[in-house]
Amino acid sequence: MAAHANPTSRMDHLEETLIALILGIMTLLTFANVVARYVFNANIFYALELTVFLFAWLVLLGSSYAVKKTLHLGVDAIVNMVPDTTKRVLALIVVAVCLAYSLLLLKGAWDYWAPYANLYPTKGRWFPTGFEEVRGQGWYETQDIPVPFFLRWLEPVFNEGFEYEKLPKVVPYIVLPLSALLLVVRFVQAGLRVWRGEQEMLIVSHEAEDEVAEAAAKLKD
Amino acid sequence: MEILLLFVMVIGLMLIGVPIAISLGFSSIFFLLLFSDTSMASVAQTLFEAFEGHATLLAIPFFILASSFMSTGGVAQRIIRFSIALVGHLRGGLAIAGVLACMIFAALSGSSPATVVAIGTIVIAAMRQVGYTKEFAAGVIANAGTLGILIPPSIVMVVYAAAVEVSVGRMFLAGVIPGLMAGFMLMIGIYIMARIKNMPKGEFAGWGEIFASFRAAVWGLLLIVIIMVGIYGIPGFTGAIFTPTEAAAVASVYAFIAACFIYRDVGPLAGGQSLLKKPHALITAFWHPDTMRTLRDAGKLIITLMFVIANALLLKHVITDEQIPQQITETMLSYGLGPVAFLIVVNVILLIGGQFMEPSGLLVIVAPLVFPIAIELGIDPIHLGIIMVVNMEIGMITPPVGLNLFVTAGVANMSMMGVVRAALPFLGIMFIFLILVTYIPAISTTLPNAVMGPEIITK
Repeated sequence: MAAHANPTSRMDHLEETLIALILGIMTLLTFANVVARYVFNANIFYALELTVFLFAWLVLLGSSYAVKKTLHLGVDAIVNMVPDTTKRVLALIVVAVCLAYSLLLLKGAWDYWAPYANLYPTKGRWFPTGFEEVRGQGWYETQDIPVPFFLRWLEPVFNEGFEYEKLPKVVPYIVLPLSALLLVVRFVQAGLRVWRGEQEMLIVSHEAEDEVAEAAAKLKD
Repeated sequence: MEILLLFVMVIGLMLIGVPIAISLGFSSIFFLLLFSDTSMASVAQTLFEAFEGHATLLAIPFFILASSFMSTGGVAQRIIRFSIALVGHLRGGLAIAGVLACMIFAALSGSSPATVVAIGTIVIAAMRQVGYTKEFAAGVIANAGTLGILIPPSIVMVVYAAAVEVSVGRMFLAGVIPGLMAGFMLMIGIYIMARIKNMPKGEFAGWGEIFASFRAAVWGLLLIVIIMVGIYGIPGFTGAIFTPTEAAAVASVYAFIAACFIYRDVGPLAGGQSLLKKPHALITAFWHPDTMRTLRDAGKLIITLMFVIANALLLKHVITDEQIPQQITETMLSYGLGPVAFLIVVNVILLIGGQFMEPSGLLVIVAPLVFPIAIELGIDPIHLGIIMVVNMEIGMITPPVGLNLFVTAGVANMSMMGVVRAALPFLGIMFIFLILVTYIPAISTTLPNAVMGPEIITK
């Protein structure tokens, strides 16, 4: 209903491939763990933790893609009843709320992630008012996931050259500030589209709108 | 009083068109920053905890993926053929077959709209061809499609299990008898209507057709076997083989293999090419455009659904932190609320809420609110879960904004009001079913207690 034509760009392709890839790896990893247990009597001991992290990556990173493609679920019953001007004003308020959400989340995500990267979190409750000097937590590690060879460079950067036994937390949690930042960007873009009148709302009313449109086209008399 | 502000804010934001996830998340953040000493950093942590702390939820992406692979190509078509072969010769047979097909497809997928789209697209067209009215066809499918969340596997049940920490396996088993019951009640209702209105009946195509259509559909049906045997084992022979999450992942891989290599509806062998002539398909199937498209589409669904759930968990965090459930429990009990009245209250809240919100998100918020009261009143948590799921089903087909009504209206090219009127007679059946399920706990609890032993409730 709010579908706006977006040229399939290289960025779209990248994001879509990433979504498919993460989901595919999650599935194969969990499947491989079952096979390992029953066929080889072994266990991929880090499978569960890694799958959970991938799951979080999929959803958090994907949420900004969903903003871009107007996929987020919402209630459009009221919005569809009001006249166009009101609709536009409402949509701009919605954008403001979404921006506030993503900016607050960005602050929180940074504050949470920064210590793991030996960086300083921000001070202030609602707004960042400066940096707080805290002890770095770059040596915090995940429970089970081993460090892949291509991430060995993390040791001199975040751990004063000491060897990591497990993947440091700085890696999986980076998705938080990253996706919050992407959300900010996507909401600014969506806001501009609403401002220019290219898009009416930021939501769809249910998850199957595309499929329904396809099915309806097939059934047309 | 502040908590009232919180809920008013959530609903208000939702109604002006803020995405559900962000209505939930923003209100929670606002409330936390204003009334508690929680920092934004811990909000971000809680959001990540939604995934890290709820391994149960991991079953959701895999069930969605399995259902997506099963929805590609002609699995739905084969199931419908099998259903028609079984019951198509009765009076109103095609409608009854539609219900049966919805029941079977519900056991392959965990979502109601998916069931309506997959089965509805084919059955509604077929029913019109043999002379049923469009309205009747749409009414049947809109209602039978809701079985998607009651017949296991069910995404809504996984969410409930994660929200109140009961076993997913138990919830799935608890859905079996109510699911079959609801299906048969709909079928009986249709049969009676068909007798009165003298609706068309098909020809009995013979046992040969039943056998042939079963053979065509069996690879799809096998998915149900994999999930059920995987989670529960074969009684007296083997114990549970997988966790529900693993079962879902195995089901996804199986569905991929079935779609690409057995049915060959999609993927590198599409059109039924032989694997022997094209052995490299074994490898290329993994990044074939069809595979990627299915992964991507499933991914989109997972993202939007889980973003709602993750933010709803943020809100759940707020309400449990503020001890809201305890307060409500005390108030309710001080008014002398008995189990019967309590269940009516739950029904009403969910019926209204189900109008506006995506079922999973609603469950995450309502379940922790009513769960402590239910335990206090001696209501079985599994029973409560099934009541909630059935309420969601009815919410999906109640005007003004039932999800299945929208989907059916789209699939059948009908107006919203048309579908509402069409669904009404069957809605009556679902209401009777809701009352039965609400007040006869044995319908839900017998099977899980028999298979997995009586439940131990710890307060």
